[in-house]
Amino acid sequence: MKKESEILLQIRDLSVEYQTEDGIVKAVNGIDLNVGKGETVGLVGETGAGKTTVALSILRLIPDPPGRIVRGEILWKGKDLLKESIPEMQKIRGDHISMIFQDPMTALNPVHTIGEQIAESVILHQNLHKKEAEEAAKKTLELVGIPKERYFDYPHQFSGGMKQRVVIAIALACNPELLIADEPTTALDVTIQAQILEMMNQLKRDLGMSVIMITHDLGIVAEMCDRVAVVYAGQIVEWGTTRQVFKNTYHPYTLGLFGSLPDMKAADEQDFDERRLKPISGMMPDPTKLPDWCHFAERCPYRTDECEKDPIPLRDFGDGHLVRCRRCPVPGKEE
Amino acid sequence: MYKYIAKRLLMMIPVLLGITVLVFLMLHLTPGDPARSMLGDTASPEEIAELREELGLNDNLVVQYGRYMKNLIFHGSLGTSYVSGREVMSEILNRFPTTILLALCGIVVTVLIGVPTGIIAAVKQNSWMDKAATFIGLFGVSMPAFWLGLLLAQFFSLKLGWLPATGFYGPKYWILPAITVGLNTSAMVMRMTRSTMLEIIRQDYIRTARAKGVKEKTVVIHHALSNCLIPLITVIGLQIGSQLGGAMVTETIFSIPGLGKYLVDSISSRDYPVIQGGVLFTAIVFSVVNLLVDILYAYADPRIKTQYAKAGGRKRNRPLERKEA
Repeated sequence: MKKESEILLQIRDLSVEYQTEDGIVKAVNGIDLNVGKGETVGLVGETGAGKTTVALSILRLIPDPPGRIVRGEILWKGKDLLKESIPEMQKIRGDHISMIFQDPMTALNPVHTIGEQIAESVILHQNLHKKEAEEAAKKTLELVGIPKERYFDYPHQFSGGMKQRVVIAIALACNPELLIADEPTTALDVTIQAQILEMMNQLKRDLGMSVIMITHDLGIVAEMCDRVAVVYAGQIVEWGTTRQVFKNTYHPYTLGLFGSLPDMKAADEQDFDERRLKPISGMMPDPTKLPDWCHFAERCPYRTDECEKDPIPLRDFGDGHLVRCRRCPVPGKEE
Repeated sequence: MYKYIAKRLLMMIPVLLGITVLVFLMLHLTPGDPARSMLGDTASPEEIAELREELGLNDNLVVQYGRYMKNLIFHGSLGTSYVSGREVMSEILNRFPTTILLALCGIVVTVLIGVPTGIIAAVKQNSWMDKAATFIGLFGVSMPAFWLGLLLAQFFSLKLGWLPATGFYGPKYWILPAITVGLNTSAMVMRMTRSTMLEIIRQDYIRTARAKGVKEKTVVIHHALSNCLIPLITVIGLQIGSQLGGAMVTETIFSIPGLGKYLVDSISSRDYPVIQGGVLFTAIVFSVVNLLVDILYAYADPRIKTQYAKAGGRKRNRPLERKEA
């Protein structure tokens, strides 16, 4: 397991709200997160849990209105990004911190060549001339496995997987220290997904960058991440190294996530009823009316009256494995 | 691409043929007699009959149309004006540059006012600037050209004496008519720019651009506006067409010797050859403008260029020559 290393990004008590017609949507409610140098941190959770909002907050790209960061600090090498000026943020975006977006189909500008779109950030951040930037962009293209001859092609001339490679190339063009990957493979089919993940792993090793991997796929977390934060209704409910979270799963929600995965090994041994996928019953709470107590209480199979009294803090279950749950560890799960 | 253009040019031929038939039929089916309006109320029935015979108006409609088309195709002639006796073709060609110049000036006004205000309104959505632009836009749309033209002439020419009210002899003379023609349509272009821009600015690729650290101004101009061009070109292209028609009003108000005024005059005197020629000419210009708009699409959006290349490619198997005959 990776040792504690130099902390690159530190998020403290981040809270983000969206103003909508139905009221204030509390998308992110006091999230704390550390990303070390060279480390890959996974953010796991279902759609609407607030993962993307966290990512966009780091780059200050929350559309405002309707979004608003109400509280918190995002410390980048000690500097609070939330207090930086816009020009200062523009220097950080794309150069120090880059982002890969979820849907490669819409993330590229249809009327500019892909080369131009990659070279743009090189020109912006490295003060290169057009010709030099073109060379740099062509190198990045080859890095993500696209022949440099395609520099002058337009996005519509690429397939989905190739487009995602271009999106990754844009993010990598200036060798960022932190890469935020927002469900980079969700829109792709499984074979392409494997290719892209393998490529990202390779690039991560070669370039030594830190990655925040946002996903709802636990398989990707197992494959890519050093540490993982399980997010539910805008809160981190479980946080630890990937091994801790996968081996000693404590939080009922995380347990539920694992329960809804097909288990191929068990499939042969167990009878049909046990082999069935166990979805988490119920729905995520209405983000405009979040309860003051445990957000998961409504769906939790272990709920007690205690759970619906006060806000639940994150508790350390040993070695920095933090869980936001009142109940004792499940018997038998404890080592 | 060239094949596509060639194909489109060929497609104009049946359109224009159809227009000649329509105009010809409509003119001859409307009541009123050119011979009577030429000779006046005092003319005797014999004189009118004689003139009708001379103008060929007593012939079968098909024969008349055939004669007209024969002259047009083999001699490039649109006939002679009943009123002035001059060649319609040269009369139109004399006046046409003025009308086109007026339309272009109008477009310049339209674009200069409409596009920037539209962008500002979209980028600063719901701000006072947005509201002001929307208000002015509404005002501009609801102001008819004949009234606006008169107001402008009254204020700037008669009251302030800054600009001439009639004629069309130099840039100074162009200003008021151009504003009259352009203000109305600039409101429409502004609304169009605003709504398209609002849509584009929420697209994922705009977020990608911002995530690269691109400055907001570049995001708006380079990334967003370049994606707004298709609807903008469409509206502006249509405006050129309607301004050719609208030129009749403006040219009459400011006494500009253009195609519009010529047509208005000829309609009141039932000068068939002039009306036919004028309408045909306007139709040609309209078709050409449409073609130019479609060609511009290809330069504004590479995806459309690919389509055109395909459309041109398919053409290869079909004999081009047959259509021309």
